[in-house]
This record gives sequence, C-alpha cells and structure tokens, in this order.
Amino acid sequence: MLIDFLPILLHVVVAVGFATVVLVLNIALGRAGKRTKIKDTAYECGVIPEPGPQPRFSVKFYLVAMLFILFDIEVVFMYPWAVVYRDYIAQHGMLIFWSMLSFVIILLFGYAYAVKKGALEWGR
Amino acid sequence: MIVPYALEISVVCVGIFLLMVDAFLKTDKTTIAWTGVVVLLAIFGLTFALGPMPKGVIPEAFYVLDPTALFFKRFLLLATVLTLILSIDYSPVYQKFVPAAVPQAGLGEFFTLPVFACAGMMFMVSANDFIMIFVALELVTITFYVLVASMRKNQGSLEAGVKYLILGALSTGFLVYGITWLYGITGYTSLDGIQSVLPRVPEQYQPSVLFGLGLVLVALGFKVAAVPFQFWVPDVYQGAPTPVTAYLSVASKAAGFVVLLRVLEPFVTTPTFQVKVFGILTILAAVTLILGNLAAMSQQNLKRLLAYSSIAHAGYLLVAVASLSAPGAKVAIGFYLGGYLLMTFLAFLVLLNVAKVSGGDDIRDFNGLGKRSPVLALALLISMLSLAGLPFTIGFLGKFFIFEAALASGQYVLVVLGAITVACGFYYYLKVVMAMYWQPPAPSATNIQVSPFGQFLIALLVLAIIIFGIFPQPILGALTHL
Repeated sequence: MLIDFLPILLHVVVAVGFATVVLVLNIALGRAGKRTKIKDTAYECGVIPEPGPQPRFSVKFYLVAMLFILFDIEVVFMYPWAVVYRDYIAQHGMLIFWSMLSFVIILLFGYAYAVKKGALEWGR
Repeated sequence: MIVPYALEISVVCVGIFLLMVDAFLKTDKTTIAWTGVVVLLAIFGLTFALGPMPKGVIPEAFYVLDPTALFFKRFLLLATVLTLILSIDYSPVYQKFVPAAVPQAGLGEFFTLPVFACAGMMFMVSANDFIMIFVALELVTITFYVLVASMRKNQGSLEAGVKYLILGALSTGFLVYGITWLYGITGYTSLDGIQSVLPRVPEQYQPSVLFGLGLVLVALGFKVAAVPFQFWVPDVYQGAPTPVTAYLSVASKAAGFVVLLRVLEPFVTTPTFQVKVFGILTILAAVTLILGNLAAMSQQNLKRLLAYSSIAHAGYLLVAVASLSAPGAKVAIGFYLGGYLLMTFLAFLVLLNVAKVSGGDDIRDFNGLGKRSPVLALALLISMLSLAGLPFTIGFLGKFFIFEAALASGQYVLVVLGAITVACGFYYYLKVVMAMYWQPPAPSATNIQVSPFGQFLIALLVLAIIIFGIFPQPILGALTHL
C-alpha cells in the first residue's frame, strides 16, 4: 500500500537532488574569478536588462482582478448546479432554484455597489 | 411556517440594504449606523418571539436552534449594536486615517461590515456541520480582515491587517485539513454523523481522528486567542480601530467558543476519546491562563493590556471547556461571555472617549482621569474591578461558576492555577485604577466631556454589570430554558 507512493518519493528525490546539484555547481563555478557590477546583472541574451526587477503596477489592476475573481466564482458554482438541476427538481422540488436565485441576487447587489463606487472606472 | 434561519437572513438583508444606502443615497453616513442600530435592536426583539426548536423540527441538519444558539444570537446582536454605537463615536478619528476622496469616505463600509460579520457569527453559533462552520467562519474572518485594515493611512492598522490576514489564512488551512481528516475517517461532515460513528472507530484509526481534531483545535484556538496560537492578538488588537478591537475581542471570541463546544461535543461524550481530549484541553487552558496573565502584567498600553487580558479570559473559559463533563460547564461559559461582553464594551467605551481627547491609549494617558472626568473614571473602575473578578460584579460570578464546574469535574490543578492567576489579574487591572486616581494628570491634559447619550450608555452598562453580578437569574434562565 505504502509502496504505491514510491514514484512520488522518487520524484521528490529527483527534484530536490537536481536543485541541490545546480545550486552547488553555481556556487562552485560561478563564484570563480572577479566580480563586477556588469557580471552581477541578470542575463538576458547579452542585452542589458531594461526595466528594474520590480516594475510598478497601477492598483486598478488588483481591483479589477479581485472583482473578476469574485464574479468568476459565481460561474464555478453554477456549473455543478446546472448539471444536477433537472434531477434535483424532479426529486426534491424548487429549493435548488430559489437558492441559486438568492445567491445571484446578492451578487447583483455587490455588482451595483462596485459600479456605483466607481471600481470599474478605469480613467479615475 | 417560519424559516428557522429567518434571523440570519434578515440580518444579511439589513447589511445589503445599508450598503445600497451608502452607495446610492447622499445621506449623512452616521444615519446608516443609526439605522443599523435600530433595525438590529428590532431583530433582537424578534428573537424573543422565536423560541428554541428541538432538533427534529428543523429540516436542515446543518442548523440547530437550541437555547445556547438563541442566547448567543441575542448576545451577538447586542455586541453588534454596541460596536456600531462605538463606531459612530470613533468616526472623527477614523476619518483622519482614511484618504478623503469624498467627504466621509469609507465610513459607510465601516458601519456596514459589522452587520455582515454579525450574520456570519449568528450562523456560526447555529452551525452543526463542518461545511456550515467553515463557510460561516470565512464570512466572519474576511469581514474582519477588511475592518482591521480599514484605516489605510495608519501604519498600525495596516500592520495589524497583514498579520491578521496571514495568520488567519494559515489557521483556515489547518481547519480545512482537520475537517478532511475527520471526514476521511468517519465519512461525515455533520457533527451528528460524526457522533454516531465515533464509538465504532477501530483502534488503528483513533490516532488519525485525534490528529484531525487537533488540527481543528488549532484553528479554533486561533479564533478564541488560546496560547500557543495567540501571537496575532496584541498587535491586531492594538492596531485595529478601537470599535473593531472591542467587536473582535467579544463577538468573535464568543462565536469561536460556541463552535468549539459544538465540535467537542461528539468527542467528549465518546469514552474512547474523552480522556485524551480533556488532556489536550487542560494543557491548553493552563498555558493560556499563565501566559495571558503574566504577559499582561508588564503592559504599558491599555489596548495591549486588554488584548492580553482577553487571552487570560480565554484561559478561564478554556478551564470551563476542560470541565465539560460537569453539568454546569456550558451555562458557566455562556454566563461568563455575557459578563465579558458588558465589561469589555464598557472598558473600550471609556478608552475610546479618553483616547479621542488625549490622542493616545497608553496607561499614562489615563493619569488623573478621576479629576478630568469622574464619570469615565468610575466607569473604567467598575469595568476593571469586574474584569479582575471582585464580588458583587458580573465578573466575579462568571469566575465563580467556572471554578464550580471545574471542581465538580475534578480539575483541581486548573482551579489552583486559576486562583493564582486571578491574583495576578488584580495587579494589572488595578494598575489602571491607580493611574486614574493616584497619578496627577499631565499638565496639558484637559477635562473630557461625555455626550448625554454616552453617559446613558455608560450608566446602562455599569448597572448591568452590578445588577447581574447580584442577580444572575435572568441570564442563567435564558441559557437553560427550552
């Protein structure tokens, strides 16, 4: 039973081993010779890397991404709901319909709130 | 027929309504809070029309409405009302730390989010299924993340928000992992189902059950601020807006304890697990008592002191949880939390009013409060004495019932430890009293005026602390009658 997990153990060993070998090689070979500022820059096919490593994003991206996730989850709930809908109605009645309807209405209020508060106005 | 969870649905509707008012109407934002107060008080009244229901009556198995649940629904509604009133008081301070794009920016959400948290906690105290517990808990926690971090221009608030978010997410992970273990062994997420299967769990799987329960206990220990899961408490309590701190320390803790009681119920009634589970709880209670009380002694900031005192009170409550085999333990927990609500809100009400004028919440800001504002000083005196557990206050009776239950179930070590830590408690609570009455006020300190409504509220809380400290029957009755 436990032997079934052997491939996973092998995978872990290979992953950790590869990372260790590469890091050790890097230290052994890469630290040789003189260090300069140019040598320490990130390697991008010989071109000097242009922007800094942490570019700044407008906070609006986060806002839109967050709203996207919120309203996307709705669909995640709706797929399994739609799959069992017909059978459930036949067996247990309309409860499943009203549950989803109330959920969507609550989301609708959330949407109205987001729009009214200007969360989707890109220009501001 | 009335839907059993009509109360929660109406609270959610109130929240949505207030949110829409905030978004679409250009009213003064404090009217939102006052509307919330009035409507929640009306719902509080409605709870008396709705009696507790026996288990078979409610079709949904994930929901129970026993006397405990009903008592705590009233408790949570009152806590939310008090939080909203404190928030109105706090709004001038709050606005200093929020970017003001429009006048009163952010206030609408500040007044509305507690209502949603209230709905979540009301679901929590009735939840009888791990899925329901999880969803309700998330509704509460996510609301609190926002509330704690909502003063965006205040570093303390942001730091508190980040700490609470990261540790909260971690504890949620523990909860879900624990639930999967319990589900994996028993095949049920409902607590009734787990209860029915537990006595028949074969011996080789019993460690797995305990492991799953342990993970769930970690998450709930985080919620109720039990040592060793208390690291977030002082920083979050200090950084969060004061009304949110009060709400967090009272309502969130109470809901956490009710969930703890429900989750433990199947385990402490099953002989095979009883001894081990009580062992874990005893250790938790002991370390929480010791660390909470000792760490509180050296605090110089009143909010931090109240944070450690909140850990200490979690310790006393855990003593009762570890004594669940005694018949009076559950009632003792309910009564203790009821008293804790009154005295904590009174302390935070005074703290808020003083900090608004002095600009800080260190203990030295309370120097000479006896001269600057006799009303506030007297209120804080009563609250501190009750938190310490002086006779004729509700705090004394709460501790009395808990120790009575602990003695009845033979937890003598915890009783001795509790008695010693109560003595420590007197030291740090009276330190505040000493600052108020024996230290001279700072030269720049001015007198503090309290609004008539504030005075009324203070009088109400003080009276409740003393009256229920002599006459506990109304609360005890609400906890036991079916």
